[in-house]
Amino acid sequence: MPPFHIIDPTRLVVELAYTLIVVFLCFTIYYKTKDIFDLTKHEGIKYFRKTFLFFGLAYISRFIFFLILLMAITFDVFYMGHIFGIFPLVFIGYFSTIGILSLTYSVLWKKLHINHTFSKHIFLLFNIIAVLISGIAFFSRSPFILILAQAVLLILTSIIIARCILSNSRKTSRLYILYVLFFLFWIVNLFALGSRRFLPFEIQIVFQIISIVVIGIIYYKVAKWT
Amino acid sequence: MKRKRDRLEVIYDILKIIRHYNNSIKPTPLLRYSNLSSQSFSEYLSELLEKGFIKEIIDEKGRKFFTLTDKGFKYLEKYKLIIGFIDEFEL
Repeated sequence: MPPFHIIDPTRLVVELAYTLIVVFLCFTIYYKTKDIFDLTKHEGIKYFRKTFLFFGLAYISRFIFFLILLMAITFDVFYMGHIFGIFPLVFIGYFSTIGILSLTYSVLWKKLHINHTFSKHIFLLFNIIAVLISGIAFFSRSPFILILAQAVLLILTSIIIARCILSNSRKTSRLYILYVLFFLFWIVNLFALGSRRFLPFEIQIVFQIISIVVIGIIYYKVAKWT
Repeated sequence: MKRKRDRLEVIYDILKIIRHYNNSIKPTPLLRYSNLSSQSFSEYLSELLEKGFIKEIIDEKGRKFFTLTDKGFKYLEKYKLIIGFIDEFEL
């Protein structure tokens, strides 16, 4: 059985640095696209921005959960993790679900030919799905149920995106791979939330570096045009 | 056959026409040069006025003109970047 976490300063510093970099990139993407959104009110840009705002918030919630978990295990106060850990877990579920759905919608909205009235309510629909998934996290009190729910959502959305946007265009295929990797590393990141260490520390660092590279590429593509 | 222009492109074309005519043009020539039906033209004009891309000026003889605002100039300046961004992320 994998060992429990214990607070070790290196691990904590790595997690903190990783969260700061990812959150900085996500919020900078959100900020840098503000100008072109204000000028166009473009539906795709609106949801593209929301994706990074909500993923930024999800990564912050993830770090808070991780911190509570480490403290609870290290100081042997499991009730603390049980009581306080539930709130960040609910926020992780909520923010990341909205992020996943927003990114999917940003590339699909043109192909779906949704009428104007329905498009006004689409964010409400995303909220309902996000509340359902965070509700699962709340009642199960387990990150693994959340991982499972998000994995199902990610597989479904990846298939939908693939069916709608994948073509012979190399650029579109590269974008699709980038988005799938972005989703995949989010799921891998959620594994760090378990009370037992399922991934060796070194492998987790490699995943985190690749994850930063993926978000960095998206940031670079954004910076090119803003 | 000419492809249908999308919303952002139509807005760009209208603003470009206004700028081309020394940033002051009457509604009738603007309608003619914009290649839109009068109904679409009215809708776009309302949108542009509402969003502050253009403003209406009435001279001392009571003639109506349209001119670009700073936001309108900014849109023209950033249009290529906006299209590049939308294209880059398939939005």
